[in-house]
Amino acid sequence: MKKVNRIKRIRKDWLLYVMLLPGMLYFAIFHIVPIINMKLAFQDYRIIGENVWVGWKHFEQLFSSPAFKDVLMNTVIISSMKIIFIFPIPILFSLLVNELRFGPFRKYVQSVSYLPHFLSWVVIAGIWITLLDPVDGGANVIRNFFQLPSLDYMTSKEHIRWVLVYSEMWRSAGWDSILYLAAILKISPSLYEAARIDGASTLHQMRYITLPSLMSTVVTLFILNLGFFMSAGFDQVFNLMNDSVLSVIDILDTYVYRIGILNGQYSYATAASLFKGAIGLILILGTHFLSKRLTGKGVW
Amino acid sequence: MKQFSMTKAIIQFILFLFTLAVLIPLLNILALSLSEPSRVDELSGLGVIPKGFSLINFEIIMSNPFIVRSIVNSVFITIVGTCLNLFLTAITAYVLARTEFVGKRLVLVVLIAVMVFEPSMITEYLLMKDLHLLNSYAAVILYKAINVYYLFILMRFFQEVPNSILEAAKIDGAGHFRIFTTIVLPLSKPALATLALFYGVYHWNEYFRATIYLTDPNKWPFQVVLRQFVVTQDNTTLLKGVEGMTPELLASLDFGSLQSATIVVAVIPMLLLYPLILKYFTKGTMDGGVKE
Repeated sequence: MKKVNRIKRIRKDWLLYVMLLPGMLYFAIFHIVPIINMKLAFQDYRIIGENVWVGWKHFEQLFSSPAFKDVLMNTVIISSMKIIFIFPIPILFSLLVNELRFGPFRKYVQSVSYLPHFLSWVVIAGIWITLLDPVDGGANVIRNFFQLPSLDYMTSKEHIRWVLVYSEMWRSAGWDSILYLAAILKISPSLYEAARIDGASTLHQMRYITLPSLMSTVVTLFILNLGFFMSAGFDQVFNLMNDSVLSVIDILDTYVYRIGILNGQYSYATAASLFKGAIGLILILGTHFLSKRLTGKGVW
Repeated sequence: MKQFSMTKAIIQFILFLFTLAVLIPLLNILALSLSEPSRVDELSGLGVIPKGFSLINFEIIMSNPFIVRSIVNSVFITIVGTCLNLFLTAITAYVLARTEFVGKRLVLVVLIAVMVFEPSMITEYLLMKDLHLLNSYAAVILYKAINVYYLFILMRFFQEVPNSILEAAKIDGAGHFRIFTTIVLPLSKPALATLALFYGVYHWNEYFRATIYLTDPNKWPFQVVLRQFVVTQDNTTLLKGVEGMTPELLASLDFGSLQSATIVVAVIPMLLLYPLILKYFTKGTMDGGVKE
């Protein structure tokens, strides 16, 4: 009875399925198929004929490779640095912008700070390479002003990871504050009025009203960020990389690109990708369920 | 009360410094590109006013057929790509947001799965190879024909179209396709404009897939060529094929300024659209973004 009903409904709604078809075809062909094809990690790639199953061979090779260990370490270090030093900045930024009265200055601050988000990493790399130029770059102009010797940031193993942190901050601090600002705007003004009558200062209001109201947004965005933990910002690293600093900023994705796309070791590179994807999935599902248990809120 | 305004003043000052940190590197690039090549050394790394004024760098870039072609390629990819994105995203969003059908739950689960697990760039590349799409624009345009995040944003917008209008149309005998094209789409113009900008920016800035999928340099979009000059520092392509290039002219040029001018060319379309982006993007992200 129920089944017949279903078939009837499907028949009646045929037009809906036709309308849905192009989108579903797209997801099937360009998302699902390449995900299923990641079984290549357990196979040897053959140009002619069927691929051969080889079990965990490529993973064993991967985990015994010192190069992979370095790459993994770099990924973890760079991502951790970004989470620690960049994640709080948009929150802080939104708190500060929130204190500005609606008017030209606020508009100016927002318009300027969102702009870098729309530039490609190629453009940003160009701008930062100029800014960090060892001879006449802006960063060294400032250093020289304080009587410090010039530095070649882009080729310095000590500094390049900080270049990644600061350039990412430059690009996204403003834009990433939008969701927080939106959450702040939803806070009832009566809370602030009551606080003001009780004599709370601007800082107190930030600390005891605004910040607590932001917590659920913070948790959501933190979980989403963790989902990208193993990515560490491929486009950024890819464009700011050079031979002198390769060893300290080579991350999983740049490694996959080099051994896979450039050297043609497709199976081995796919194994590295699959490892990355699996960890990312564990991180995002793990934090999602943890947060659901602790705060009753997850990402979806 | 004095303490109060002091805090505000400090906040304003901090934010002002932040905007300077964003603006100065950008304006410095612009100043480099517009300075006279012979005087460019006088420009400080923090300078924002060009030394002298010359458009020679832009003239050189625009007389390089390779670069001009790459700009045309970029415009082509951006326009065709964005139209396809809009069509696919809108029609899919309509069905998912405004209708009930058998299998809807399954589709939504698949979409969430697509969001949390990305295919490997290797299997994506091999797929393009198997489909014989390598070295064709189809590969660059198709691989991200629908962005799931944008799809969800558009679904939110579509859900806001008042039910009464749709019910009225249904009573008048309009089918889903009619409702979609004559009611939902026209009512969602601001949302579609937002998405067009989202997708347009994405296509204009894309370089990586183009690098690995397009083997013929004549097909490269502008960002790939820019990357060659600015990141890989390959200056032969930059000057090759420029008509009327003499050794004297070459010697009078400043490579850093030429690079800066190329960056400026890549940023100009963005700056032209930026007022629109500010108007639509911020609203779009605020309304449809992450659920709280």
